[in-house]
Amino acid sequence: MTLSDDALERYSRQLVLPEWTGAAQERLAGASAIVVGAGALGCPAATYLVAAGVGRLGLVDSDAVELSNLNRQPLHSTPDIGLNKAESAAAKLRLVNPDCLVETYPVRLEEVNAEAIVAGADVVVDCSDSFATRYLVNDACCAQGIPLVEGGVLGFSGLVLPIRPGESACYRCAFPSEPPAGAVPTCEEAGVLGATAGIVGAIQALEALKLLTGAVPARTDTILQLDAATLELTHVRTSRRPDCPACAPQSGA
Amino acid sequence: MTLDLRGVPCPLNWVRTKLALEELRPGERLEVLLDPGEPLESVPASARAAGHEVTVAGETVTIVRR
Repeated sequence: MTLSDDALERYSRQLVLPEWTGAAQERLAGASAIVVGAGALGCPAATYLVAAGVGRLGLVDSDAVELSNLNRQPLHSTPDIGLNKAESAAAKLRLVNPDCLVETYPVRLEEVNAEAIVAGADVVVDCSDSFATRYLVNDACCAQGIPLVEGGVLGFSGLVLPIRPGESACYRCAFPSEPPAGAVPTCEEAGVLGATAGIVGAIQALEALKLLTGAVPARTDTILQLDAATLELTHVRTSRRPDCPACAPQSGA
Repeated sequence: MTLDLRGVPCPLNWVRTKLALEELRPGERLEVLLDPGEPLESVPASARAAGHEVTVAGETVTIVRR
Protein backbone atom coordinates (compact mmCIF):
# COMPACT_ATOMS: atom_id res chain seq x y z
CA MET A 1 0.00 0.00 0.00
CA THR A 2 1.32 3.45 -0.86
CA LEU A 3 -0.14 6.74 0.29
CA SER A 4 -1.84 8.85 -2.38
CA ASP A 5 -0.98 12.52 -2.93
CA ASP A 6 -4.23 13.47 -1.17
CA ALA A 7 -3.40 11.21 1.75
CA LEU A 8 0.06 12.75 2.10
CA GLU A 9 -1.50 16.19 2.28
CA ARG A 10 -4.39 15.13 4.55
CA TYR A 11 -2.03 13.47 7.05
CA SER A 12 0.97 15.78 6.54
CA ARG A 13 0.78 17.37 9.99
CA GLN A 14 1.02 14.00 11.71
CA LEU A 15 3.53 12.57 9.20
CA VAL A 16 5.85 15.42 10.19
CA LEU A 17 6.03 13.94 13.70
CA PRO A 18 9.33 12.06 14.02
CA GLU A 19 7.52 9.15 15.72
CA TRP A 20 4.84 8.90 13.02
CA THR A 21 6.29 7.12 9.98
CA GLY A 22 4.77 6.38 6.60
CA ALA A 23 4.67 2.76 7.76
CA ALA A 24 2.61 3.81 10.81
CA GLN A 25 0.18 5.67 8.56
CA GLU A 26 -0.15 2.62 6.31
CA ARG A 27 -0.70 0.33 9.31
CA LEU A 28 -3.50 2.65 10.41
CA ALA A 29 -5.06 2.63 6.94
CA GLY A 30 -5.15 -1.16 7.09
CA ALA A 31 -6.66 -1.23 10.58
CA SER A 32 -10.19 -1.72 11.82
CA ALA A 33 -11.51 -0.05 14.99
CA ILE A 34 -14.75 -0.53 16.90
CA VAL A 35 -16.10 2.32 19.02
CA VAL A 36 -18.76 1.19 21.49
CA GLY A 37 -21.09 4.12 22.13
CA ALA A 38 -21.58 7.21 19.94
CA GLY A 39 -22.09 9.57 22.85
CA ALA A 40 -19.97 11.92 24.92
CA LEU A 41 -16.79 9.81 24.68
CA GLY A 42 -17.54 8.10 21.38
CA CYS A 43 -18.00 11.34 19.43
CA PRO A 44 -14.49 12.69 20.06
CA ALA A 45 -12.85 9.25 20.06
CA ALA A 46 -14.38 8.30 16.69
CA THR A 47 -13.68 11.73 15.19
CA TYR A 48 -9.96 11.58 15.95
CA LEU A 49 -9.61 7.98 14.79
CA VAL A 50 -11.32 8.72 11.48
CA ALA A 51 -9.48 12.01 11.00
CA ALA A 52 -6.13 10.32 11.67
CA GLY A 53 -6.81 7.79 8.91
CA VAL A 54 -8.04 4.53 10.41
CA GLY A 55 -9.14 2.31 7.52
CA ARG A 56 -12.42 1.10 8.96
CA LEU A 57 -14.48 2.24 11.94
CA GLY A 58 -17.51 0.43 13.35
CA LEU A 59 -19.81 2.45 15.60
CA VAL A 60 -22.11 0.67 18.04
CA ASP A 61 -25.12 2.46 19.57
CA SER A 62 -28.80 1.58 19.80
CA ASP A 63 -30.00 4.89 21.27
CA ALA A 64 -31.63 7.82 19.51
CA VAL A 65 -30.23 11.36 19.72
CA GLU A 66 -31.98 13.38 22.44
CA LEU A 67 -31.96 17.11 23.12
CA SER A 68 -30.19 16.48 26.43
CA ASN A 69 -27.27 14.79 24.58
CA LEU A 70 -26.25 17.87 22.66
CA ASN A 71 -24.23 19.58 25.42
CA ARG A 72 -21.55 16.89 25.17
CA GLN A 73 -21.90 14.87 21.94
CA PRO A 74 -20.56 17.13 19.20
CA LEU A 75 -21.17 14.81 16.24
CA HIS A 76 -24.93 15.20 16.80
CA SER A 77 -26.80 18.37 15.92
CA THR A 78 -30.27 19.70 16.71
CA PRO A 79 -31.84 18.37 13.46
CA ASP A 80 -30.56 14.86 14.35
CA ILE A 81 -32.87 14.49 17.37
CA GLY A 82 -34.68 11.18 17.03
CA LEU A 83 -32.11 9.59 14.69
CA ASN A 84 -30.09 6.59 15.73
CA LYS A 85 -26.85 7.82 17.29
CA ALA A 86 -24.57 5.47 15.35
CA GLU A 87 -26.17 6.56 12.07
CA SER A 88 -26.10 10.25 13.02
CA ALA A 89 -22.43 10.14 14.00
CA ALA A 90 -21.45 8.03 10.98
CA ALA A 91 -22.93 10.58 8.56
CA LYS A 92 -20.61 13.30 9.97
CA LEU A 93 -17.59 10.99 10.17
CA ARG A 94 -17.91 10.10 6.46
CA LEU A 95 -17.62 13.82 5.70
CA VAL A 96 -14.55 14.14 7.94
CA ASN A 97 -12.68 11.48 5.98
CA PRO A 98 -14.20 9.74 2.95
CA ASP A 99 -11.22 7.35 2.87
CA CYS A 100 -12.43 5.69 6.08
CA LEU A 101 -15.10 3.02 5.80
CA VAL A 102 -17.58 3.90 8.58
CA GLU A 103 -20.04 1.15 9.46
CA THR A 104 -22.89 1.26 11.97
CA TYR A 105 -24.24 -1.25 14.45
CA PRO A 106 -27.53 0.29 15.62
CA VAL A 107 -27.83 -2.31 18.38
CA ARG A 108 -27.11 -2.52 22.09
CA LEU A 109 -23.93 -4.47 22.85
CA GLU A 110 -25.02 -7.41 24.96
CA GLU A 111 -23.69 -10.77 26.04
CA VAL A 112 -25.17 -12.49 22.98
CA ASN A 113 -23.56 -10.18 20.39
CA ALA A 114 -20.44 -8.78 22.13
CA GLU A 115 -17.99 -11.33 20.72
CA ALA A 116 -19.38 -11.04 17.19
CA ILE A 117 -19.26 -7.23 17.22
CA VAL A 118 -15.60 -7.00 18.27
CA ALA A 119 -14.46 -9.97 16.12
CA GLY A 120 -11.81 -8.96 13.59
CA ALA A 121 -11.16 -5.54 15.10
CA ASP A 122 -7.58 -4.40 15.62
CA VAL A 123 -8.64 -2.15 18.49
CA VAL A 124 -11.82 -1.50 20.47
CA VAL A 125 -12.55 1.81 22.17
CA ASP A 126 -15.09 1.42 24.93
CA CYS A 127 -17.14 4.60 25.15
CA SER A 128 -20.15 2.94 26.76
CA ASP A 129 -22.02 4.35 29.71
CA SER A 130 -22.55 1.36 31.97
CA PHE A 131 -20.36 -0.91 34.05
CA ALA A 132 -22.16 -3.98 32.73
CA THR A 133 -21.28 -3.08 29.13
CA ARG A 134 -17.65 -2.33 30.07
CA TYR A 135 -17.20 -5.80 31.55
CA LEU A 136 -18.81 -7.37 28.46
CA VAL A 137 -16.51 -5.42 26.12
CA ASN A 138 -13.48 -6.22 28.25
CA ASP A 139 -14.27 -9.93 28.40
CA ALA A 140 -14.95 -10.16 24.66
CA CYS A 141 -11.66 -8.38 23.84
CA CYS A 142 -9.72 -10.54 26.30
CA ALA A 143 -11.22 -13.71 24.79
CA GLN A 144 -10.08 -12.65 21.30
CA GLY A 145 -6.84 -10.88 22.25
CA ILE A 146 -8.00 -7.53 20.87
CA PRO A 147 -6.33 -4.37 22.26
CA LEU A 148 -8.84 -2.17 24.07
CA VAL A 149 -9.06 1.33 25.50
CA GLU A 150 -11.46 1.63 28.40
CA GLY A 151 -12.74 5.03 29.45
CA GLY A 152 -15.30 6.71 31.62
CA VAL A 153 -16.41 10.14 32.73
CA LEU A 154 -18.62 11.32 35.56
CA GLY A 155 -18.92 14.81 36.94
CA PHE A 156 -15.43 16.31 36.77
CA SER A 157 -13.75 12.89 36.98
CA GLY A 158 -12.41 10.93 34.04
CA LEU A 159 -10.62 7.61 33.65
CA VAL A 160 -8.70 5.91 30.83
CA LEU A 161 -7.07 2.46 30.77
CA PRO A 162 -5.39 1.09 27.61
CA ILE A 163 -5.25 -2.71 27.59
CA ARG A 164 -3.23 -5.29 25.67
CA PRO A 165 -4.96 -8.54 26.67
CA GLY A 166 -2.53 -11.19 27.83
CA GLU A 167 0.23 -8.60 28.24
CA SER A 168 -1.19 -5.89 30.51
CA ALA A 169 -3.89 -5.49 33.13
CA CYS A 170 -7.42 -5.73 31.76
CA TYR A 171 -10.42 -3.80 33.10
CA ARG A 172 -11.35 -6.75 35.32
CA CYS A 173 -7.77 -6.93 36.70
CA ALA A 174 -7.98 -3.25 37.64
CA PHE A 175 -11.62 -3.35 38.80
CA PRO A 176 -12.43 -6.96 39.71
CA SER A 177 -16.10 -6.43 40.50
CA GLU A 178 -18.89 -4.20 39.33
CA PRO A 179 -19.86 -1.58 41.93
CA PRO A 180 -23.21 -2.40 43.55
CA ALA A 181 -26.24 -0.85 41.85
CA GLY A 182 -26.74 2.70 43.10
CA ALA A 183 -23.20 2.99 44.54
CA VAL A 184 -21.99 5.11 41.62
CA PRO A 185 -24.28 7.87 40.37
CA THR A 186 -25.23 7.91 36.71
CA CYS A 187 -24.43 10.72 34.29
CA GLU A 188 -28.01 11.95 34.75
CA GLU A 189 -27.50 12.19 38.52
CA ALA A 190 -23.91 13.45 38.65
CA GLY A 191 -23.90 15.63 35.54
CA VAL A 192 -21.09 16.14 33.05
CA LEU A 193 -19.68 18.97 30.95
CA GLY A 194 -19.06 18.19 27.30
CA ALA A 195 -15.54 19.60 27.52
CA THR A 196 -14.60 17.12 30.25
CA ALA A 197 -15.88 14.19 28.20
CA GLY A 198 -14.04 15.60 25.17
CA ILE A 199 -10.70 15.35 26.99
CA VAL A 200 -11.33 11.74 27.99
CA GLY A 201 -12.55 10.70 24.54
CA ALA A 202 -9.57 12.38 22.90
CA ILE A 203 -7.17 10.53 25.23
CA GLN A 204 -8.92 7.26 24.36
CA ALA A 205 -8.39 7.97 20.66
CA LEU A 206 -4.74 8.83 21.30
CA GLU A 207 -4.12 5.56 23.13
CA ALA A 208 -5.99 3.61 20.42
CA LEU A 209 -3.75 5.22 17.76
CA LYS A 210 -0.68 4.19 19.78
CA LEU A 211 -1.99 0.62 20.11
CA LEU A 212 -2.73 0.44 16.36
CA THR A 213 0.49 1.92 15.01
CA GLY A 214 3.10 1.34 17.71
CA ALA A 215 4.39 4.83 16.91
CA VAL A 216 4.60 5.46 20.65
CA PRO A 217 3.95 2.84 23.36
CA ALA A 218 0.46 3.04 24.89
CA ARG A 219 0.35 3.68 28.63
CA THR A 220 -0.77 0.18 29.61
CA ASP A 221 -0.89 -1.01 33.25
CA THR A 222 -1.75 2.57 34.21
CA ILE A 223 -5.15 3.92 35.17
CA LEU A 224 -5.14 7.54 34.09
CA GLN A 225 -7.38 9.59 36.35
CA LEU A 226 -8.39 13.09 35.33
CA ASP A 227 -9.72 15.70 37.72
CA ALA A 228 -11.11 18.24 35.29
CA ALA A 229 -11.84 20.71 38.13
CA THR A 230 -8.17 21.06 39.11
CA LEU A 231 -6.76 19.73 35.81
CA GLU A 232 -4.73 17.18 37.76
CA LEU A 233 -3.78 13.94 36.01
CA THR A 234 -2.95 11.00 38.27
CA HIS A 235 -1.31 7.76 37.12
CA VAL A 236 -2.38 4.78 39.20
CA ARG A 237 -0.27 1.68 38.53
CA THR A 238 -2.19 -1.52 38.03
CA SER A 239 -1.09 -5.00 37.03
CA ARG A 240 -2.42 -8.32 35.77
CA ARG A 241 -4.12 -10.59 38.28
CA PRO A 242 -3.01 -14.21 37.89
CA ASP A 243 -6.56 -15.33 38.78
CA CYS A 244 -8.39 -12.85 36.53
CA PRO A 245 -11.47 -14.60 35.13
CA ALA A 246 -11.20 -12.58 31.89
CA CYS A 247 -7.52 -12.57 30.92
CA ALA A 248 -5.64 -15.18 32.97
CA PRO A 249 -4.27 -18.01 30.78
CA GLN A 250 -6.21 -20.70 32.69
CA SER A 251 -9.48 -18.78 32.44
CA GLY A 252 -10.13 -20.34 29.05
CA ALA A 253 -11.61 -17.01 28.01
CA MET B 1 17.52 8.47 -6.34
CA THR B 2 16.43 12.07 -7.00
CA LEU B 3 13.23 13.69 -5.74
CA ASP B 4 12.20 16.92 -7.46
CA LEU B 5 10.26 18.82 -4.82
CA ARG B 6 10.45 22.24 -6.47
CA GLY B 7 6.99 23.79 -6.19
CA VAL B 8 6.05 21.56 -3.24
CA PRO B 9 5.38 23.67 -0.13
CA CYS B 10 6.41 23.05 3.49
CA PRO B 11 5.79 20.75 5.27
CA LEU B 12 4.70 18.48 2.39
CA ASN B 13 8.23 18.59 0.92
CA TRP B 14 9.66 17.18 4.17
CA VAL B 15 6.88 14.56 4.39
CA ARG B 16 7.75 13.34 0.87
CA THR B 17 11.46 13.36 1.70
CA LYS B 18 10.88 11.48 4.94
CA LEU B 19 8.78 8.77 3.26
CA ALA B 20 11.35 8.38 0.47
CA LEU B 21 14.07 7.96 3.10
CA GLU B 22 12.00 5.26 4.81
CA GLU B 23 12.29 3.20 1.60
CA LEU B 24 16.11 3.37 1.63
CA ARG B 25 18.59 1.23 3.52
CA PRO B 26 20.99 2.86 6.00
CA GLY B 27 23.90 4.47 4.11
CA GLU B 28 21.93 4.90 0.85
CA ARG B 29 21.60 8.44 -0.46
CA LEU B 30 18.71 10.57 -1.65
CA GLU B 31 19.02 13.74 -3.71
CA VAL B 32 16.31 16.32 -3.20
CA LEU B 33 15.72 19.43 -5.33
CA LEU B 34 14.11 22.24 -3.35
CA ASP B 35 12.95 25.83 -3.81
CA PRO B 36 15.07 28.54 -2.21
CA GLY B 37 13.74 30.17 0.96
CA GLU B 38 11.78 28.20 3.55
CA PRO B 39 12.08 24.80 1.81
CA LEU B 40 15.90 24.99 1.55
CA GLU B 41 16.05 26.11 5.17
CA SER B 42 13.65 23.70 6.80
CA VAL B 43 14.02 20.38 4.91
CA PRO B 44 17.78 20.02 5.57
CA ALA B 45 17.16 21.03 9.22
CA SER B 46 14.42 18.39 9.58
CA ALA B 47 16.65 15.76 7.97
CA ARG B 48 19.51 16.58 10.33
CA ALA B 49 17.15 16.53 13.32
CA ALA B 50 16.07 13.02 12.24
CA GLY B 51 19.72 11.97 12.42
CA HIS B 52 20.56 11.80 8.71
CA GLU B 53 23.76 13.14 7.13
CA VAL B 54 22.97 16.21 5.02
CA THR B 55 24.94 18.26 2.50
CA VAL B 56 23.55 21.23 0.60
CA ALA B 57 24.93 22.37 -2.78
CA GLY B 58 22.89 25.16 -4.32
CA GLU B 59 19.33 23.91 -4.56
CA THR B 60 20.31 20.26 -4.30
CA VAL B 61 20.24 18.59 -0.92
CA THR B 62 21.93 15.22 -0.51
CA ILE B 63 20.78 13.10 2.40
CA VAL B 64 22.47 9.89 3.50
CA ARG B 65 20.01 7.71 5.42
CA ARG B 66 21.12 6.97 8.94
